Amino acid sequence: MRSASAALALFFAATILLFSLSAPRFASASTVENLMSGFSFVAILAMGQAFPILVRGIDLSIGAIVGLVGMIVFDLSLILHVPGYLILPLALFAGALAGALNGVLVVHLRLQPFIATLATLAAYRGLTYAISGRQLVPGLTTTPIRDPWLTGIETYFDVGRWLGLSRLVNMPWVPLSFVIMLAVFAVLQVLLTSTRFGRDIYATGGNHEAARLAGIRVNGVIITAYALAGLCAAIAALIMVARFTTATEALGAGMELTAIAAAVIGGVSLAGGVGAMFGPALGAFLLGAILIGLTLQGVPQFVQQIITGAILLAAVGYDRLLSVRRQRRLSAPSTAAT
Amino acid sequence: MQEEKTNDRRNFLKTIALGSAAVAGAGAGMFSAPGDRPIAVGMPRARAEGTRYKTAFIQWQPHTVPAAWSKGIEEVLGPQQIVDYELLDGQNKVEVQVSLVETLISQGASVIFLQPIDSVALAPSIAKAKRAGISVITLNIDATEPHASHVEMNHYYGAMDIAKAMGDAMGGKGKVAILNAPPGIIIRDQRTNGFVDGLKKHHPDIQVVADQVADWDRKKAQDVLNTILAANPDLGGVYGVNDSMALGAVDVAKEKGLLGKIAIFGNDGETAALESIEAGELTGTQYTDVYQQGRLAAAAATVLATGGVEAGAFAQQSRLLMPYVIATKANVGSIQPSQRW
Repeated sequence: MRSASAALALFFAATILLFSLSAPRFASASTVENLMSGFSFVAILAMGQAFPILVRGIDLSIGAIVGLVGMIVFDLSLILHVPGYLILPLALFAGALAGALNGVLVVHLRLQPFIATLATLAAYRGLTYAISGRQLVPGLTTTPIRDPWLTGIETYFDVGRWLGLSRLVNMPWVPLSFVIMLAVFAVLQVLLTSTRFGRDIYATGGNHEAARLAGIRVNGVIITAYALAGLCAAIAALIMVARFTTATEALGAGMELTAIAAAVIGGVSLAGGVGAMFGPALGAFLLGAILIGLTLQGVPQFVQQIITGAILLAAVGYDRLLSVRRQRRLSAPSTAAT
Repeated sequence: MQEEKTNDRRNFLKTIALGSAAVAGAGAGMFSAPGDRPIAVGMPRARAEGTRYKTAFIQWQPHTVPAAWSKGIEEVLGPQQIVDYELLDGQNKVEVQVSLVETLISQGASVIFLQPIDSVALAPSIAKAKRAGISVITLNIDATEPHASHVEMNHYYGAMDIAKAMGDAMGGKGKVAILNAPPGIIIRDQRTNGFVDGLKKHHPDIQVVADQVADWDRKKAQDVLNTILAANPDLGGVYGVNDSMALGAVDVAKEKGLLGKIAIFGNDGETAALESIEAGELTGTQYTDVYQQGRLAAAAATVLATGGVEAGAFAQQSRLLMPYVIATKANVGSIQPSQRW
């Protein structure tokens, strides 16, 4: 485990311990359950966001993709009455497509990722309003989505009872969204560490030009990275729609920033080429634990935002410190040789 | 004149008194739920001596209305000294509101006051709270999941009366524009439908020529109304679905020298709107005593928290519509400083 991940895991453990001692009812099964159900989709978004950052980009549009995919699901289910088992793949495809479009803008129009995805943020959000079934068919405002294929995502498993642990301690029920998060984590982590694509991602993020010269299809790698971010946004959207039994036009607004914060806290370097899936996922749960803990302590929300900002700053500072050390280590042997 | 004023005040007080009666009625309904399970009223929960009841209000986002509710709620809960109360901010995001509800559930709250951002999206959380025995009281925006109580401004009938007053001010004919809220919220539909139905009923010759979204916002309302006026220079009336948008219309009318030529009505009755009416700028608004709305919700909450009434015990959700007045220059003076929010 990289030292950044170890530091994050330690910080997470310390945070949990601190709140368990200080915040009333923090150390309870229901808090763990809330953390899992309320932040698994944030973790998925953060893992998705890590890919554009790994190739030295950023994706500001993933919150808007969440909104767009949510509304597509809403329309397909409530207006067109498409069965849920068809909606699931369509939603994932739409998210990946929206993400891939970001990649195309970055690669082929040579736009700065920040500008390209800022533009698509506005465009995707606008499109969400344009296709909103809530505006096309007013009665749907108060109609929940009831398709079991979609609402089934919001299911809880009594894992404690299966394991026989419930007789000993009060165990949290595990939401399906958390299991989905673990699956996404496993797939993406294997993709990053054990496949050619993963090596290409790190090489491209480390140095575009060197990667190109080494024969890597840099453009394809970058487009795929953005498509993965879009795909993760679609998964998050499905989880949120299941949780709320509806989609609103504003669904996911501002979540890109939370995802970026979680990724950076999770040790994904904004300079590109450094990071993995463990950090962003844990970073999301760290932010969640802090929000829940501070709310339980009765700390006002603006103070919570200040604290979140401070943690983000500290994470960026720590990342900077590590990268300076890395460079020093890299340059040390060469100076010794001369 | 003096006579008329006292009359107005008397009418105003009468509506308030009627409101109190409505509360009593709603209260009675609340505890005589014709469900199949017997309800033990007045049986205090088995709580240790000195236990404090936890309550919280999850607002939509900071605005004059939830701020005034919160003040009214605090006025009632504060002096009781056994109830803890806090105001939480939903940050205009459903996922934040849902997460806050779940946190309050695990905290063992007794009552949750909720101004849902969306009627459907918060319904699963309300169901969860009910399963945990927590009563939920919604303010202004109802949820599709039945819950303990809903306390709302009288959106539909109030808007009908606004239409009547506006038509009267316009002489029963002309064109009006609606500065509307974004779709997807029940109160938008109630306040719009009430207005349109009110025009049909009282002033069928008045025509609605524009109905555009101005995001509840004063600045946005200025831009939208400028566009509408370009297409309809002979506009006779503007209805802002909240006061902020109506005041944006006043700004435009002032700038273009149209004050007095266009009847402008708002909805809510916040202090800025009442002052604008007194200054002869805004024609009128639907005024609700929002402090009182908060106090009534808090009164119900006190009973729910301390009276041993289970959240699941309601076969039917109680519903309280707040009394209101259509405030115009003629009667705005009767709204006392302590009632202004």
